[in-house]
Amino acid sequence: MDDVLTETVPTDDLKRFEKVYHEQLYKNDVTPKAQFEYAWCLVRSKYPADIKKGIVLLQELYKSHDEGQRDYLYYLAIGNARIKEYSKALSYVRAFLSIEPGNQQVISLESTIKKKMDKEGLVGMAMAGGVVLAVGALVGLGMAVASKKS
Amino acid sequence: MDDDILTTLKILIIGESGVGKSSLLLRFTEDNFDPEQTLTIGVDFKTKRLSIDGNTVKLAIWDTAGQERFRTLTPSYYRDAQGAILVYDVSNYSTFTKLETWLNELETYSTKSNIVKMVVGNKIDMDNREVSREEGVHFARRHQTLFIEASAKTKDGVQGAFEELVQKIIQTPDLWESYAIGNNFQVGNKDHPAQQSCSGYCSLI
Ligand SMILES: Nc1nc2c(ncn2[C@@H]2O[C@H](COP(=O)(O)OP(=O)(O)O)[C@@H](O)[C@H]2O)c(=O)[nH]1
Ligand SMILES: [Mg+2]
Repeated sequence: MDDVLTETVPTDDLKRFEKVYHEQLYKNDVTPKAQFEYAWCLVRSKYPADIKKGIVLLQELYKSHDEGQRDYLYYLAIGNARIKEYSKALSYVRAFLSIEPGNQQVISLESTIKKKMDKEGLVGMAMAGGVVLAVGALVGLGMAVASKKS
Repeated sequence: MDDDILTTLKILIIGESGVGKSSLLLRFTEDNFDPEQTLTIGVDFKTKRLSIDGNTVKLAIWDTAGQERFRTLTPSYYRDAQGAILVYDVSNYSTFTKLETWLNELETYSTKSNIVKMVVGNKIDMDNREVSREEGVHFARRHQTLFIEASAKTKDGVQGAFEELVQKIIQTPDLWESYAIGNNFQVGNKDHPAQQSCSGYCSLI
């Protein structure tokens, strides 16, 4: 089943909004609306190259256009998660939640991202690393105790 | 784990911004209400299992923002939806008037012609009602949709809205049975086998 990280944009939509954006770009008059709509399509593409392009457009908007900040942060998180840039994705999520701590939509995006990492063994790996550290600490402690005894 | 699931259904929630779409979804999925529910960004997504007449289905629910600046792209999420919940706010007449536009949009962009539609008049806990129940019923009848009045705040009607919608979808096997083919899903149950439109499907078993 598709979720926000796996559903994809219909090709027709991507083409349609790409056309509008490029027409405006040609006239050197790109509106934030056209750029956002095109970027929103791009980050939902099945091709990582499109997603990366979408991320660049969203970053541009984030820096230049105050009004849609929360929209840009949200789709920056989604775009990065879709190309498996999980730490970046989570940093956008955290930036968002520092402004709107109780936002259900973003909290659930965070858990979707973490579940995906889990599935790919990334959280597991982090946890295994933690276990190794803990075992190391125990061994160290044991040795300290042992040395005291002697 | 998913073996006992009959099918997964895609459900849309549409309507003007502020009518309580996200609140209805939050009430349904988490039995919660947030008086300071924040504005949805673009399109949100939640899942929920629902058991009806002995069948368990998984719902993939897409909650749309309804705000003007997301309008051009929202229809690209309509594809393949089997059910749609159209919400208005009974204390705000213009949100009821706008339902016509939302229905048109759904007709234009949904890929399943027999998509099941449920009209929900939300916020019936409010004192300043502007849309009567009769008007709602009349609208639903005219457009051949299901209808219920609800309040995400007090829970009234919320569970019922989703259940009725899903029940109607299950009774329309054309809408979802193609998804089951090849996945060895069981259609219907012992008491209510899905026999109405067995063309193609039954011969495959
Ligand atoms: N009194 C009352 N307020 C509600 C109800 N449902 C939603 N609200 C409030 O209406 C506002 C808009 O709700 P929201 O779910 O964000 O609407 P959406 O834009 O359609 O998703 C929020 O402040 C909610 O708390 C309801 O049934 N009763
Ligand atoms: Mg909402």
